[in-house]
Amino acid sequence: MAAPVRIAQLSCGPEYSGVQNEINEAAKSVGAEIFFPDVTLADIRRDFAELGLDVASPDLRLAIARAKALVEGRIEADAVFITTCFRCAEAAIVRNELRRYIHENSRLPVVSYSFTERTTAGTLLTRMEALTTIARRRALLARERQEGLTLGIDSGSSTTKAVVMQENHVLGSGWLPTVEVVGSAEEAVREALRQSGVAMGGIEAIGTTGYGRFLVGKHFDADLIQEELTVNSKGAVYLAEHQHGAATVIDIGGMDNKAISVHDGIPGTFTMGGICAGASGRFLEMTAKRLGVDIRELGPLALKGESKRVPMNSYCIVFGTQSLVNALAAGSSPADVAAAACHSVAEQVFEQQLQEVDIKEPVIMVGGTSLIEGLVHAMGQLLNVDILVPPRSQFIGAVGSALLASGFIGGK
Amino acid sequence: MKEYIPKYAGTVTKYVFVESPSTRPEELAQRAYEVSEGAMIKETCFGLQVTGRPNEVARIIGELRKLDPNHIFVKDRGFPPGDPRRCRANLGGARPGYHGHEFEIALLPNISHGLEAIESGKKEIVPSPVTRIPEKLDVQRLKMMMDAQEP
Amino acid sequence: MAKIFIYPTTSLILSDMVERFGHEALGSALGIRERLQTGGFDSPPLQITPDEPKKGLRWAAVEVPSGVRGRMAILGPLIEQAEAAIIIEDADLAFGCMGCARTNELLKYIVRHRGIPVLDLMYPRSESEGEKFVAAIRDFLKSLPGGR
Repeated sequence: MAAPVRIAQLSCGPEYSGVQNEINEAAKSVGAEIFFPDVTLADIRRDFAELGLDVASPDLRLAIARAKALVEGRIEADAVFITTCFRCAEAAIVRNELRRYIHENSRLPVVSYSFTERTTAGTLLTRMEALTTIARRRALLARERQEGLTLGIDSGSSTTKAVVMQENHVLGSGWLPTVEVVGSAEEAVREALRQSGVAMGGIEAIGTTGYGRFLVGKHFDADLIQEELTVNSKGAVYLAEHQHGAATVIDIGGMDNKAISVHDGIPGTFTMGGICAGASGRFLEMTAKRLGVDIRELGPLALKGESKRVPMNSYCIVFGTQSLVNALAAGSSPADVAAAACHSVAEQVFEQQLQEVDIKEPVIMVGGTSLIEGLVHAMGQLLNVDILVPPRSQFIGAVGSALLASGFIGGK
Repeated sequence: MKEYIPKYAGTVTKYVFVESPSTRPEELAQRAYEVSEGAMIKETCFGLQVTGRPNEVARIIGELRKLDPNHIFVKDRGFPPGDPRRCRANLGGARPGYHGHEFEIALLPNISHGLEAIESGKKEIVPSPVTRIPEKLDVQRLKMMMDAQEP
Repeated sequence: MAKIFIYPTTSLILSDMVERFGHEALGSALGIRERLQTGGFDSPPLQITPDEPKKGLRWAAVEVPSGVRGRMAILGPLIEQAEAAIIIEDADLAFGCMGCARTNELLKYIVRHRGIPVLDLMYPRSESEGEKFVAAIRDFLKSLPGGR
């Protein structure tokens, strides 16, 4: 068995929130182990003063000293997990600055997370899996070309996607709403194979990603079962033909959103948010339904409107929808309402997640929501950049899986 | 969720630190074994830990303090000795409390000195709290200083 | 013998002084011990389950971070039992139970709000400060019921 991936924990509060065991269990389930970098009192005094972030909480000072020990190579680790209490301003500042400090001064992958007493191992699993993948599978993630004949399946919370690829080209794809995880995957695969004109028997390797990756992966006997953070990063820079250097990937999904700071196709820091439906593709689906238009028409409609003309009093999916309904009743145009909904989602992702990754161009938006032009436009305005939406951006996870799966052809 | 069945229920654990020019941790440990009567003694780099029923531990601590009263210091511990949940080998680094001890141990000579001064009946000790808050400047004095700066 | 809440709650020096002069020190070890010696669901390392931050709602509202409420669940009950307290003001290098500055502010406030006798000190940085420090504690503890 491979040696566990060693994840250094920098934290304040998890033991007292009853979540330390959840962190340990999440790490264990992906073949990693949590450890606390060993520093002395003298290190704490010196390093805290040297970094110059004058915080009052001793445990945050300890976290600073531990971060410096990692960056300066006094202590070895494969990855870093920075975690502090949700709603603590002091800790949030330290969490952000340490994440940035480590990212800029070392090659260690970092993820930061603010927990509550309700945080479970399940919530942390995808983040830990991504951390261990980046640490353990750099060689796999370095792949830039798809080879052979491979199948990628992305079993998402809203939709299931499948693509068949051969020698760096997409032969066919399948897309449908997720109903029953395995059944939907079978159907998407059937469609992708039909379009490609190849039989299942000819497929040389299979990769799965998304919420249903384990179930679908088992069903299809996949060679690679991988969380969506690393797969989507890879898929995004591959499709955007920007595999080298820095990039930022934004994926607003049906159930959670990802913002990933990528370097050479490998995630450096990333955030995943998923508490609020008001910041998801679901909100836009509901808006489209309310406006009586197909979700595909929402984007072009939003581009014709002006979001500022509609008062939105809440980010909440329930109260936000109510604001939109009130605006329609008060005579607002559907175009303005569509624009306001797009702006609301973009703004929420901007405020809650994009502050935790360093935005470097190109900014690549992927996933089904990247096809909603109004949303891309709103995000571009907020970030003041031209956002890149690569071709087939809705198939990002499936393409990333097919690409990475080619590393497994012939039992490689 | 896994069930938790506590070990060592009904016991207490105490740290015994020795910071002395004349008593070494090994001597402390030797004395502890002599008087332990079955209570658990665990030697450490700074002294030892005693685990047992509260009255047993109190008796042992009483005996140990006699060895070098002004240089032996005792503190409660929540964990029993060698608990894997707190062990440095498992955590990768010291438990958080360790650094707090590291800080206070450096101050123990000042405490020992204070204890000795009391014991010797030193008269001139003013038992006022050490506050180190500078006294406010007298208003009249401030005015004089300001006046002195006038061109 | 009186029950004395010590701050920092992890202090070796205060723990020793209080017991040396015949009283009972109420520090975080007691709260942690109680949890480690009580059965229930496994929640290593401290046997603090997600229920503890909920118990902490007694001292801090729900918008206060879970780490503050979890710490209060351990230390709050100790303050409620305390008959007196000793507070070292410059305790900025105590970790773990004392690792959160916001919790520490709340702890001190609750102690003072209870109206019990409180002795305020600074850590002794010299031998002469050590003399004053020990003498102040001795006199304070002597003045309490059962002091010797």
